[in-house]
Amino acid sequence: MKHTVMTFITKVERVKELEAILEEIARAPEFPVNPHLPFDDLKRLHFASLVLHEDKSFGAYLIFENNFDGDLEDYLEDLHAQAAAGLHRIYSCCRDYPAASAADRAHMLGYLRRHVVRPNAYHVGNVGRSLERVRQEDALQDGLETFLDDVVEQGQASAPPSTIRQKIQGYVRGVPAFAWALRAEPRRTTAEWLVPYLKLGLAALVALFALPVLIPLLIIWLVVLRCKERRDSVQSTLGDQEHAAELVRREDHTRIVQNHMASFTDIKPGAFRRMTLRAVLWVINIIARAVFTKGKLSGIPSIHFAHWSMIDNGRRLLFVSNFDGSWENYLDDFIDKAAGGLTAIWSNTGGFPRTRWLIKEGARDGARFKAYARDSQTYTNVWYSAYPNLTVEAIDKNSSIREDLFTPLDDARTRFWLWRF
Amino acid sequence: MAELERSDMQGIVMSGYGHLPCASYVLLSVADGARARGWLGRLTADITTAEVKQEGTSINIAFTVRGLARLDLHDGTLATFSRAFREGMATEHRSRILGDAEDNAPSNWDWGGTDANAPDILLMLFGCEEAALDELIGRLRAGFAEGGISELRALGAGRQSDSHEHFGFADGIGQPAIEGSPQAEKALPKNIIKPGEVLFSYQNDYGKPADGPLVAPALDPQNLLPDAPPIDDTQTASTTTTPIQRDLGRNGTYLVFRQLAQHVSKFWLFLDKATRRPDGQDDRAAAVRLASKFVGRWPNGAPLAKSPDTDDPALSNDDDFGYYERDPHGFKCPIGAHIRRSNPRDSLGPDPETALKSANRHRLLRRGRSYGHRLLDPRVDDGDPRGLHFICLNSDIERQFEFVQLTWINNPVFGGLNGEVDPLIGHLKKGDALVTVPADPLRTRVHDMQRFVTVRGGAYFFMPGIKALRYLANL
Repeated sequence: MKHTVMTFITKVERVKELEAILEEIARAPEFPVNPHLPFDDLKRLHFASLVLHEDKSFGAYLIFENNFDGDLEDYLEDLHAQAAAGLHRIYSCCRDYPAASAADRAHMLGYLRRHVVRPNAYHVGNVGRSLERVRQEDALQDGLETFLDDVVEQGQASAPPSTIRQKIQGYVRGVPAFAWALRAEPRRTTAEWLVPYLKLGLAALVALFALPVLIPLLIIWLVVLRCKERRDSVQSTLGDQEHAAELVRREDHTRIVQNHMASFTDIKPGAFRRMTLRAVLWVINIIARAVFTKGKLSGIPSIHFAHWSMIDNGRRLLFVSNFDGSWENYLDDFIDKAAGGLTAIWSNTGGFPRTRWLIKEGARDGARFKAYARDSQTYTNVWYSAYPNLTVEAIDKNSSIREDLFTPLDDARTRFWLWRF
Repeated sequence: MAELERSDMQGIVMSGYGHLPCASYVLLSVADGARARGWLGRLTADITTAEVKQEGTSINIAFTVRGLARLDLHDGTLATFSRAFREGMATEHRSRILGDAEDNAPSNWDWGGTDANAPDILLMLFGCEEAALDELIGRLRAGFAEGGISELRALGAGRQSDSHEHFGFADGIGQPAIEGSPQAEKALPKNIIKPGEVLFSYQNDYGKPADGPLVAPALDPQNLLPDAPPIDDTQTASTTTTPIQRDLGRNGTYLVFRQLAQHVSKFWLFLDKATRRPDGQDDRAAAVRLASKFVGRWPNGAPLAKSPDTDDPALSNDDDFGYYERDPHGFKCPIGAHIRRSNPRDSLGPDPETALKSANRHRLLRRGRSYGHRLLDPRVDDGDPRGLHFICLNSDIERQFEFVQLTWINNPVFGGLNGEVDPLIGHLKKGDALVTVPADPLRTRVHDMQRFVTVRGGAYFFMPGIKALRYLANL
């Protein structure tokens, strides 16, 4: 099972009208139920966001972020079938939208296809888990926890681990709603996990053969980079506090389990920075596809879906992320566990803290990095999560319990398995 | 700036005044800024600094943002304080992350929750004896009227019989120590924090000067304040647009105050019920064991991570442990135990060194004290108020105090848990009020948790250094 991670990016003409529609969605009393977009009816959709971003030099954008199961074409069919009316109203506010009515399927889908932006790099936390699987495993977990409370209540917690496990297996077999759990499927097919490694290996091999050419180029590149890094101006203040205050007011509404952020940054002028950033993202992406498939992005355990997209002909970097926990914690994780990688990305954009050699210093100046991050963050007008109470870690834990539910385990591994509860 | 400028620091930064067992926290309101500045000028000479230990009494002082505004601190200067401080503790978002809803909502607080009962100034008074403290309070009170100041409330902490809080657990263990301070000489390396984690303008854990409030040079014509430190050695006239500012923050810190009422009999009766034997008899030892699981230490302080089965007196002040090697699954000290949530040490991954380094970005220097007399029979309520005046010092409220509350204490998914909060001070919600006590092979879940601690008041204060106090007095 593979996920698709993408955005539709359009220019907005009637900003006020669109803002009002998005507000009606976000402020709907029973959100995610709302008058325009029936998120819960999109059975492949994990996370979505709508961001209306007004920019002084680039005008107003609408970024419609989608993270879903399967391919784009199937998802587009879903979108039209479930949400045509709402999408028609939303995109009627956007430039060059051709559809005459919500029923004008060909024009609407054609327009959406033309505005698809696939990210330069992305990360998926729970690789291979479909929305249906996430929900099934969570329901199973709830059932098992309650069942185990009864086991404890009856004083059987000190029974041999294998006895407890047999009770659990018996319970699952007895509940018709859990019948799916008896037929375990792997998260990914062999091809799905092998191909990214082959691509990574091939890239490494090509780089190795090209070394004689690459090394002189790298040296030139490093010299130019250092010259630029010395001359770049840095921000000395701690940013726009009122903007940060407004962002914060919208955070931590899901009892702190999940949050969303969208950020726009200006890539430093000139082809050098544009090419550097493109190369950095390409490398990160090819590594992420093969290596960061166990829930962590460079040690960060809390990202469901994140995208980096270079937009506006490489002049701007868009970053969107659906993450667990508080904003402060997320940024700290970035600084402590992935400072090099994120400095390699964002030091190519304006206002980033003083950086050396592309990956050194930069984000390690915690206060100024956070100020930079807040300044570049834009309001998320609408944000949808299909499972607002689940972290990446919890989804993984649920999967690991379910996947070993009926596999043969020796006594030691049976105990380890019970520890996961 | 490596050397600690102790003569410019208020004493409570370096000392909890253990030799002065009686304390009172007096909340004041400023009615007349000009007269209050005069009062402050007269008081500044009496403020206890970190340089000398005063045997009889000690006085320290701190201000809320409204207090500073009422002393006529310039708007441009006020804007340089951190957003958390300027907004204060009782905003909608803060209530959400601090867990101040329902019973804990600011509208229910005795102080600090509304404009009418919010303090401008906090006076922290300490005495070796009740009489000495009373005499000090009396002397200060006599000057309030002339000083354009009125007293909102005096929070007496009284004399506490020992360092146990009211549930019966040893408190104040495992404090961080500021690098370069006398405490740091005896402290474990992992407990030594950079001065900038507490004090503005000193180097913080990121190797940068901690950002504190600044004053434009034109607003300090008498040159009362030193220059602010540069952000890095590349900061020159060509890389920044603003001139070097004056340093109002140096040797100062943010002080977080929360008054936490403790419901002692409710706590122990709940534990009795949760540990009752099948025959209906109470099991007092099991109740203490479960309480210790909630806390993460035994009543006399021995950490469960090191001594899971007994309250080992040899380990009563022990802080030399992590969880990664010793107790990764929480079989000894539950993942959600209070001390593990409030300082997860090396346990949150991906490797113990990184985890410890990350966790240490969120240390708090605690300076609080219990209030109210000890409940004689912890299972029979006498109706008297008691609890903890929680006070902590930190240079970045968002990154330290609020982070601990939001990301650890009140986080329902902390450390891989699901739907539970800190059993002592967490914000319980109906429906998921449970605590998991891991065990091998099978965990127990304690259901129907209740709120044993209620917030009665609170505010964010700025505790300036002595030079900054003089600046405020001379505005």
